[in-house]
Amino acid sequence: MSDFVGAGRHEPPGASPRGARGMTVKYFATIRTYTGETGRHLDDAPADLRELLTTLAGRYGTSFRRAVFSGGELSGEIIILVNGRNVRYLQGLDTPLAADDEVSIFPMVAGG
Amino acid sequence: MFGWTGTILRVDLTKGEVTREATDPQLARDYLGARGLGGHIVSTEVDPTTDALGPDNKIVFAPGPLTGTFAPAAGRFNVVTKGPLNGVLAASNSGGTFGPELKYAGYDALVIEGKAAKPVYLWIRDHEVEIRDAAAVWGHNTPDTTDLVRAETDEDAKVSCIGPAGEHLSLISNIMNEMHRAAGRTGVGAVMGAKNLKAVAVFGSGPVKVADPEGFKAAVMKARQMIQAHPVGGTGLKAYGTDVLVNILNQTGALPTRNYQDGYFPTADKTGGESLAAKQLVRPKGCFSCIISCGRVSKVDNPAYAGYGEGPEYESAWSFGADCGIDDLDAITKANFLCNEYGLDTISLGSTIACAMELFERGIITTKDTDGVDLHFGNTAAMVEMVRKAGEGEGFGVKLAQGSYRLAESYGHPEFSMTVKKQEMPAYDPRGVQGIGLNYATGNRGGCHVRGYTIAIEVLQNGAVMDPHVTEGKAGLDITFQDLTAALDSSGACLFATFGIGGAELTEMLAALTGLDYTLDEFMLIGARIWNQERLWNLKAGFTKADDTLPERLLTEPIKTGPSKGEVNHLDQMLPEYYGLRGWDEDGVPTKAKLKELTL
Amino acid sequence: MAKVLMIHPDKCTGCRNCELACSFEHEGQFRPGASRVQAYTWEREGMSVPMMCQQCDDAACVTVCPTGAMHRSTTRANLVDWDESTCIRCKMCTIACPFGNARYDAASSAIFKCDTCQGAPECVAFCPNGALEFVDDEQQVRSRKKAYAAKFKEAFQEVS
Repeated sequence: MSDFVGAGRHEPPGASPRGARGMTVKYFATIRTYTGETGRHLDDAPADLRELLTTLAGRYGTSFRRAVFSGGELSGEIIILVNGRNVRYLQGLDTPLAADDEVSIFPMVAGG
Repeated sequence: MFGWTGTILRVDLTKGEVTREATDPQLARDYLGARGLGGHIVSTEVDPTTDALGPDNKIVFAPGPLTGTFAPAAGRFNVVTKGPLNGVLAASNSGGTFGPELKYAGYDALVIEGKAAKPVYLWIRDHEVEIRDAAAVWGHNTPDTTDLVRAETDEDAKVSCIGPAGEHLSLISNIMNEMHRAAGRTGVGAVMGAKNLKAVAVFGSGPVKVADPEGFKAAVMKARQMIQAHPVGGTGLKAYGTDVLVNILNQTGALPTRNYQDGYFPTADKTGGESLAAKQLVRPKGCFSCIISCGRVSKVDNPAYAGYGEGPEYESAWSFGADCGIDDLDAITKANFLCNEYGLDTISLGSTIACAMELFERGIITTKDTDGVDLHFGNTAAMVEMVRKAGEGEGFGVKLAQGSYRLAESYGHPEFSMTVKKQEMPAYDPRGVQGIGLNYATGNRGGCHVRGYTIAIEVLQNGAVMDPHVTEGKAGLDITFQDLTAALDSSGACLFATFGIGGAELTEMLAALTGLDYTLDEFMLIGARIWNQERLWNLKAGFTKADDTLPERLLTEPIKTGPSKGEVNHLDQMLPEYYGLRGWDEDGVPTKAKLKELTL
Repeated sequence: MAKVLMIHPDKCTGCRNCELACSFEHEGQFRPGASRVQAYTWEREGMSVPMMCQQCDDAACVTVCPTGAMHRSTTRANLVDWDESTCIRCKMCTIACPFGNARYDAASSAIFKCDTCQGAPECVAFCPNGALEFVDDEQQVRSRKKAYAAKFKEAFQEVS
């Protein structure tokens, strides 16, 4: 894993250098308060979403883990997009991940 | 009556007459209040073909039965009139505290007719009603108008007023309440301006009575707990405001960018609720009886755009942001503050400036048209300057203040106006989210998101999920949301209460409050009745099936970049099913059987 | 030990649920004018402040009351109580209170002042933002004091 270059706490993940290799994970809203950063690059892509979230939970700790998992399953209060698609239309935690995927992690949000 | 006050106040500005009439209990039951009851008054009393800015149009300010009670987030009212932007049966919904105050003054609705010979404002103190000279307040912006009217009436009066934009009859002008809350859409401010009505001030000291106090309190406590336990209603909206949506819509590939030329804006995060909370938020704010507090009291220190006020909401952060190719949140917030002061709809104006930027980049207009201003996308200072010009009614701003349809049409290119029924669409790209496209196309007031917010299911995973890229099932989803929202709007509740509760809880509260045996079925039937009432009136006003569409761009030009790259909207796959499920014929006209079912 | 009503203007969003809860509890209807608590909002600054009877130990309303209708409660600690039956509605209390927290209501011929809902204030129960608290006197400023202490802590951490 490597930090976004120059990714300050409130700087957008878009600030990462173009063409950086590897998977990108982006965090939003309250998830940022659990991670303390807006996103990360991963040099080696995990096989699937479950593996990714397990790795991230190990890094960020209990608050993050509780936000994403509920009894070993994906929490109903988390929205995860892989390349813009909600994983609930893909294969949930078993969604396979590839090297250049972008994963976005949101708590439930709304407005209008 | 319980829930309702039982009285409707009528003011004829031409004759200078004030009259009162009893609220019809059957109409109250069947149309609730606000959008429904106000819509019934306008639809039965105003000729659909009348000039919206003429003396024969009427403008109704109506709270709902729940307004003024402690039902959570239920302090809203609607301004209902023939809308000047596009001629529909327009209802514009606002929070704040004006609606409850009107109720405490004793009125289920305030109906204003005719036209005053010179500028006036209305001062309502319970049963005392005065039409007062407004010479001293005409020309002032909305915060100053509010203060001046209070100085002449009562320091605690609630003031609903127009700014200079409404006085200039801008077709995208709004009505501002207590300085910061807007009845924003469809150009309702111009109706007040055309009637020479600068403001309505109200102070009320009466009650809203409850049929079953214990039952009502129990229903309210249950609804409150459900909202407070919800991740959005309970904590999310208070922490980040509605602007939190920027990132999820962008990451979904449905954040309209540069006048809907794209659906993804790489630096959108700089304009999102997270950035707003970190950089500008002073504190959260709540409307009357709100337990959610999505409002933002915000401050911009940057000297170029310094200011203090409320906002921006997601829609404004988008319209002045991604839609104009701008990622400077300070400028966006400044544009929002200016709109509130001038009394302009932020969605429509931002989208109109975006339209002007596209016309400029295509060479259809030049600096000769724009008073010398370089209007390329992303020109932050130019965007703020255009807001000022529109508010002042100065130079190119005169055209901007008429909305994007008239702007683009005047240069022979209406196809660059991102409007439905001439009203600017909000911040969800129908190419990336299919169902919201159907909702825009069938919207009774034109491009609008708050009357069938399918985004809640298609993107936000609120209660259920439906794939945003498929069209299947979206007609049914849209109709359910449109009917539910029509009833909810008419009850006086805030749409955001549905991030926690649904029709069942609203029905329970209404039943205990009014003492009527409302059921969820009746509540939904009321919603359908109100939707069809609006549809019928619009058909009489001249709208046809041909108006139930989207800008050509959304149907034929795929999104260029981002997660929804390659997508267009497939309205043709959803609209016939929508008409069928609505009980309308293939021309979109409600069938006799449907009207009978709805007692219309 | 006595409980006191604490107001936290920094947390108030101006929603006025306190006024609604108060008038509903006391009058059985929604009439903010009849509420014993009022949340005032200054729209230009976006600030709101709830105001209610502070149950003063040396209460001006009690001192001026000619009949003893306004009196310190003998059954409940830290409560200035109003006795409807001995009150002659002379309104001296409303003149004497420097905070404006006692008022006369013509519609119900009553003096409106906070009675803490007999020790379970509804305004506190309905405040969605923690801007109103009913707390033991010994704890009343603890959260505020500690929050400020935390700022000192951060400042000292930086220099140490």
